[in-house]
Amino acid sequence: MDQTINFKEVTHTYQPDTPFAQNALNQVSLTIASGSFTAIIGHTGSGKSTLVQHINALLKPTMGEIEVSGRTITPATTNKNLKQLRKHVGMVFQFPEKQLFEETVIKDVMFGPKNYGASDQEARADAKQAMALVGLDEDLQEKSPFDLSGGQMRRVAIAGVLAMKPEILILDEPTAGLDPRGHKEIMDLAEDLHEHQGMTIILVTHQMDDVVDYASDVIVMDQGKIVKHGRPQEIFADPQWVYQMHLDLPSSAEFASRLITAGVPLKSVPLTIDKLADAIVEVVQGGHGHE
Amino acid sequence: MKDIIQIKNISFNYPEQEKLFNNFSMNIQEGKWTAIIGQNGSGKSTLARLIDGLIVLKSGQIIVDGLTVNDTNIFEIRNKIGMVFQNPEDQFVGATVEDDVAFGLENRQVPREQMHQIVEQSLRQVGMWDFRDRIPANLSGGQKQRVAIAGIIALSPKIIILDEATSMLDPRGRQDILKLVNQIKRENNLTVISITHDIDEAAGADQVIVVNQGQVVEADQPDHIFGDIEKLTSIGLSAPFTSELLSALKKRGIDSHSQYLNDERLITWIKQLISKK
Amino acid sequence: MSNFLFGRYLPGNSWVHQMSPQSKLMLSFYFVVVIFFANNIWTYAALSVLILMVVLMSGVSIGYFLKGIRPLIWLIIFTVLLQILFSSGGHVYWHFGPFSVSDTSLINGGFIFIRFLLIIMISTVLTLTTTPLAIADGVQTVLRPLKKVHFPVDTLALMLSIALRFVPTLMDEMETILNAQRSRGVDFGSGSLRHRIQAAVPLLVPLFTGAINHAENLSTAMEARGFTDSEHRSKYRIYRWQRKDTISWAVFLLVGVLVLFIRKS
Repeated sequence: MDQTINFKEVTHTYQPDTPFAQNALNQVSLTIASGSFTAIIGHTGSGKSTLVQHINALLKPTMGEIEVSGRTITPATTNKNLKQLRKHVGMVFQFPEKQLFEETVIKDVMFGPKNYGASDQEARADAKQAMALVGLDEDLQEKSPFDLSGGQMRRVAIAGVLAMKPEILILDEPTAGLDPRGHKEIMDLAEDLHEHQGMTIILVTHQMDDVVDYASDVIVMDQGKIVKHGRPQEIFADPQWVYQMHLDLPSSAEFASRLITAGVPLKSVPLTIDKLADAIVEVVQGGHGHE
Repeated sequence: MKDIIQIKNISFNYPEQEKLFNNFSMNIQEGKWTAIIGQNGSGKSTLARLIDGLIVLKSGQIIVDGLTVNDTNIFEIRNKIGMVFQNPEDQFVGATVEDDVAFGLENRQVPREQMHQIVEQSLRQVGMWDFRDRIPANLSGGQKQRVAIAGIIALSPKIIILDEATSMLDPRGRQDILKLVNQIKRENNLTVISITHDIDEAAGADQVIVVNQGQVVEADQPDHIFGDIEKLTSIGLSAPFTSELLSALKKRGIDSHSQYLNDERLITWIKQLISKK
Repeated sequence: MSNFLFGRYLPGNSWVHQMSPQSKLMLSFYFVVVIFFANNIWTYAALSVLILMVVLMSGVSIGYFLKGIRPLIWLIIFTVLLQILFSSGGHVYWHFGPFSVSDTSLINGGFIFIRFLLIIMISTVLTLTTTPLAIADGVQTVLRPLKKVHFPVDTLALMLSIALRFVPTLMDEMETILNAQRSRGVDFGSGSLRHRIQAAVPLLVPLFTGAINHAENLSTAMEARGFTDSEHRSKYRIYRWQRKDTISWAVFLLVGVLVLFIRKS
């Protein structure tokens, strides 16, 4: 099924009708392509969290409408229908291990499917599948989730979301607090879900290297609006603009920018180490006999 | 160069787990920034807690600035050591920024008349005086860590231990904190031990100690360690950016013949390459 | 959600704001005690005038006080109805079975209503003009005499202030947990009573576990920061007794004496 997500002139006001009213989203219109790996970046307070919480209808627009997973959400949509939507749009919050509560790992992973009417048997099968997907060993099933390491607990939490077999998966800073190995494992998992499970992945992150390494589409937010939407190359092409948005550049682009400032005439701002190496080689080996 | 911390033949394991440290020894030099790096579970955080007497050795001895870590000395030792923890939320005791900085002073029964000045000075040093009335729920992780640092410098320690103090912060927050600690180290001539898995944090250190599975894998200056990409990745760490770039350039026929260059030196070297043509 | 003013403290510089928290606490308690001596229209009038003066001196608009009454409105109505329908004596207007409405019961109902209002208003003034931290400090000051019998006053006060400090944090965490479980198909607001109670488990277990984790880490950090015991520490914040406190006490005491005189004997 086509999983395109559409935002049409969505505005979200916190505490409306009070003196504290604030527009967290301001007439946002955007399309997230079905099956894409989209990164959403922006400085703190730009509206990223508010935006993604509309996709699984934890928040409803104050104005405008959203089309997701065959449903349209408007300010008038009642809460009754939203539960079904959340089966199709999985959301992994930051530090998701904080949501674990069951006596055993398998029970916790089964929790989601059971809430959607799966029988014990079906839920158990879904849970086992999800645990395998995130790389959790079978003999962890009957353990208490609180006896696991931090990294394992995080994977249990993610499995709990995957067990519902969502077509769209939102990841909010999934690598927060992890060491380099853990970081890579989680991002590779996201990539695997995208390539082999065909999920639409939406990644909210501050890690620009991850944006370059994994995302094909980038949305930049600032003060509740979308200021840029395109491929990573387009987004990071202008370092000055990136800094103005209070964002960082990917490591290679940052270094390239510093080289350029130091007088090295690189022809572009490369986003990966390999492209940077190529660009440096080009400058070093090109340009013979100049001033 | 004096050793301000001596770890002598210590053994330690967590209950129901196998031995983490077995006859382990290590020294920390005074006045230097020492980074202890390793993946999660390598024992690096445990070391920090053993040094501060927060957990107890099975055998061996740790000496901090001439004092053996034991029940008698522990209060004095904790006067010398300021520790910043990983979770910004869980070291914030006071109801407001100001109150939290005062917490450490209250613990040491500093007279009230002196407290205000110390609190203000410390908060100004970390750039948080304007936030003194804020509650922690309204502060970012980085801001909370700043307050933690203020709380530490209010007590004029000799040693600052950063126990994965940046691992829950975003990249910008991380940079800010490291810059701040660097500044404070210089201004007050402190010894800094930074426990981390972030290779870039270790890049600024004078001495890097690599641990894995309760053992020292390497102890040397950053330059001599950061060149070995394979070794670093094999123990769950990542290599510094410049090492990866040097490796990529080497594959393309441009060899620096150096094990490792930091950012500035790498830029300089590349410029040299161009002007040579 | 952490912007929710816990206890609805409103910053300000009014007479009441400037009073010390210990005297505000004691005055509130004293006021409630005096209320129980009121038993006629004159005593209730005197107390009402006093509380209205206090509200005026707090600089807070009456609207906030009305908001304080709203959550309790059903309890109030229920209690008032009990009085109206069940108290005996006086000229009966209507009865049916166990219920009877008389002039006495109507008056009693009215008095109960005023009592509720008075109690709600004094406690609202307290929380609107005193930060949670100040209240904790006031508790510590008020209980200090108990130190003589080795009651751990300072430990209690520290516990109280740490608990209060964590309230906004835990409320934020609660919101995140609610959202996370909603995202897994939990419907917190609907369904049978049994269903709703069951839905509390995926909220409460993570909340409690989180709180315990906070506590463990915090105690380690406190140790590292030189904390040994709560009874031997200096104090950064002191809320001194003000002249405003003395004057307020004088007024309250006078009204108390007045109530004793004009009450129905």
